[in-house]
Amino acid sequence: MPEIKVTPLGAGQDVGRSCILVSIGGKNIMLDCGMHMGYNDDRRFPDFSYITQQGRLTEFLDCVIISHFHLDHCGALPYMSEMVGYDGPIYMTHPTKAICPILLEDFRKITVDKKGETNFFTSQMIKDCMKKVIPLNLHQTVQVDDELEIKAYYAGHVLGAAMVQIKVGSESVVYTGDYNMTPDRHLGAAWIDKCRPDILISESTYATTIRDSKRCRERDFLKKVHETVERGGKVLIPVFALGRAQELCILLETFWERMNMKAPIYFSTGLTEKANHYYKLFITWTNQKIRKTFVQRNMFEFKHIKAFDRSYIDNPGPMVVFATPGMLHAGLSLQIFRKWAGNEKNMIIMPGYCVQGTIGHKILNGQKKLELENRQTVIPEYEPGWSLEVKLQVEYMSFSAHADAKGIMQLIRMAEPRNMLLVHGEAKKMEFLKDKIEQEFSINCFMPANGETSTVATNPSVPVDISLNLLKREMALGGPLPDPKKPRTIWRASLRLVSPEQALKELGLSEHQLRFTCRVQLQDAHSDSDTHIRIYTHLKSVLKGYTIQHLPDGTVMVESIVIKVSSSPEEPNTKVLLLSWSYQDEDLGSFLSTLLKKGLPAALSSM
Amino acid sequence: HCVLWTKEERYSNIHEYQLEHPTRVIEWTGEKNVCVAGYNLSKNEILELLLPLKLFADDNQGLCAERDFKVVHGGFTDGSIHCLKHIPGTRCVVTNDGSSSKLQVWDVGGDDCDVIKKTGDIHLKTASLDKGVKIDSPLTGNASVLHGSQVNDIQLTELTSGTPLYTLGTDIPDVLSSLRFVSGSVFLACSVNGDVYVGDTRSPSYLQKSPAGGREGNHWCMGVRADSSLPEPSSCSVARLSSSCQAVVSDLRNLKSPVCQAQLNVQRKTTSDEFLIVTWAPALDNCLAVSGFDGMVQIYNTASWRPELMEFQPIFIHRGHMMSDAHFDTSSSVVTTHVWHPSRPWTVLSAAGDGSVHVWDWVDNTTASC
Repeated sequence: MPEIKVTPLGAGQDVGRSCILVSIGGKNIMLDCGMHMGYNDDRRFPDFSYITQQGRLTEFLDCVIISHFHLDHCGALPYMSEMVGYDGPIYMTHPTKAICPILLEDFRKITVDKKGETNFFTSQMIKDCMKKVIPLNLHQTVQVDDELEIKAYYAGHVLGAAMVQIKVGSESVVYTGDYNMTPDRHLGAAWIDKCRPDILISESTYATTIRDSKRCRERDFLKKVHETVERGGKVLIPVFALGRAQELCILLETFWERMNMKAPIYFSTGLTEKANHYYKLFITWTNQKIRKTFVQRNMFEFKHIKAFDRSYIDNPGPMVVFATPGMLHAGLSLQIFRKWAGNEKNMIIMPGYCVQGTIGHKILNGQKKLELENRQTVIPEYEPGWSLEVKLQVEYMSFSAHADAKGIMQLIRMAEPRNMLLVHGEAKKMEFLKDKIEQEFSINCFMPANGETSTVATNPSVPVDISLNLLKREMALGGPLPDPKKPRTIWRASLRLVSPEQALKELGLSEHQLRFTCRVQLQDAHSDSDTHIRIYTHLKSVLKGYTIQHLPDGTVMVESIVIKVSSSPEEPNTKVLLLSWSYQDEDLGSFLSTLLKKGLPAALSSM
Repeated sequence: HCVLWTKEERYSNIHEYQLEHPTRVIEWTGEKNVCVAGYNLSKNEILELLLPLKLFADDNQGLCAERDFKVVHGGFTDGSIHCLKHIPGTRCVVTNDGSSSKLQVWDVGGDDCDVIKKTGDIHLKTASLDKGVKIDSPLTGNASVLHGSQVNDIQLTELTSGTPLYTLGTDIPDVLSSLRFVSGSVFLACSVNGDVYVGDTRSPSYLQKSPAGGREGNHWCMGVRADSSLPEPSSCSVARLSSSCQAVVSDLRNLKSPVCQAQLNVQRKTTSDEFLIVTWAPALDNCLAVSGFDGMVQIYNTASWRPELMEFQPIFIHRGHMMSDAHFDTSSSVVTTHVWHPSRPWTVLSAAGDGSVHVWDWVDNTTASC
């Protein structure tokens, strides 16, 4: 039975990273290659020993696909391709290809330069890895090789995020990566056609969540900014130049206008350059989904938002500043933070996850005193003996859009998969969801634990052309007629179903008939013709349901098996039964010869 | 777009959720957990939700606390759920589908399994077979459930055995709209015509009736506020709400003479009375909430009400259910139910017919505070 195998790599219950292996139609694909942000040792990398104990991965994988640029989906990619070793194709969308290396480099810098780690990929490795990347466009089928094809679908969530369909022959799998089903200001909602994959792979964490509305999240953000500014405090918002920063700017601009706010809002120039660059990529990739207002306005033509200058850091009075980098690990945002952290009237709003080791991560964990460690002297902003008391208010606001329980059901309705597979969940805590999916869609729901393989049987249809003659013969046999609505020939398939005669003719072979004969000796005092009759009667009682004939010349026929009795004049009581059958009746023939060797029952009356 | 924001801060917290299917029940099963359930005619889900952790986080703690509901337990029902009651001290809830005389008993489940399972049915001998049953559970004592569809079939049944422990011996056929315990044994029953009855499960013959007294309105319901820490309720406020938007407040000690009343400022958007509900804030004084007339939840301060009927304005209106994500849409949803948090003074949960569920902490901006 053909089957597809899916294995989420990782150990135990940890859900910090995505790396899923799929075996389909003889092809092996790696979906995402994320880093676990909570570990400092090798546990942060996926366990590739599942694929091979040692050596490179190239011959074991047909391709690697990355869904989007978040580090828990791509953070281990350079490690996998350059340190473990993989030279095959790596697929991702254009924006992901543009943004990934920047995030990876930031991540590398923090881990190596700040934390002094050694077993980590280098800048050159990131570059070498990206050389192996083949960019994808939306809805475009890409042939990885003769049999494997992939296609990217819009996932929402972040710029460039994609859901991916992997297809070999008529078997297919769709992997959702991270997605969301409700559009927001600058990203549309995920969309997929009724592609009916054998398996739809998604995250189980969505399924048990019901998300608070975007409106309430935004309200919370505006409320916090408003409160701080009203009391004369300063608000620092560290951002990574994309999407989210623009969205927050639009939000603040509208709010400032409505509430007639006077405090200045700034964004750093580093932000503008990066943002403009990605904005252009952004437009070409999602121009169907972007709202008109966003497309038409020049991104930084805001009435209330101006470019920042470092000299403003010490300006008195309230203000709001957007600055890079997003995790406070270096640069302008760190510089501003150092100046503002000591005042409890101020606030910092972290809009996303921060990597361990960064100041962003430390303050989100509630650390109130920050100290400079020796290693960090390589960064010019730091002076030795630097320490800081964190008195300002620290807030975290996640604006990242994820699907939820309702969203997952919507996606299943859209794609109509034959099976559902959820990763990163505890099966015993997901029984309700499993039941729900099975009841509503009548499909199986698999929940492999990390490191465990789920095997999904598929029923791939193999298209064949059938000759008209054969079709007619089938119809002549009776039974249900083929559905006239179903096309008899789907398309020019590589396989044809033909009659044996046709096959022999095409192959230039001649048909041979094979016939078996067998002699059985019986002691029987009856006449030959009586013996015929006795045989006939005996077989009729034993072989119910078979066609048994007694021909005029005495021959008994069972189906096509011929039984003839003969005897020599010298020994009239020794009867020789001659059995003859064709190869097709081998089973019955052997049975009969064994049966008749036992002799005929004495109490048969002659007729 | 910023419809939640006005110059005056109205909410200290607000969360808005969208369930797949609307609910008309919200029942506390813990300090941070509620049960909701669908009311489609056939198959429905019953869910236990964990409230957003951010709601319970103090300002400087829980920096990454979440804003989302977590579905912690779920199950399936074969019919509609009109009434859902948690049995205190257990992980049990009892439900009724609003059109039959059968009660379903469920085990909501513990840490090891996320499925809500039905553990049994209680078939009731009710006078009317199609009215649906009102349910309540005593505040103390063994697991039992008080139920009735009419005054004459009110009964207390022990949960595990199904044994009737108490039957109200009366032949009054009036249909019930609300049933509420005020202590371990004293309960109030409100009939649709506005009459309130006081009963005691220790004495089957005891029944005190307080008629509505010719007040307007063809459908009445009741909300009760008792000090549940006392074994016997020395004082207990009873509010009755009519379909003609009148509210009458009485004290348990003297139900016949109401303390005060008011004509509420409501424009009815729906002709159905099935979602009318009036509740007292458990942790605030003189604070009443009403809903079921339209897509709003209105909060009133009864301290200023008079014995004579006069019109009063609410001190707070929650309009969230009237608005869909992008624009005002006044046509749609009726609020199906609302509940107060048992201990957090200003926290209210409300649900509407479009599947929305809101959790909100309102701010009392009036000078006469609740």
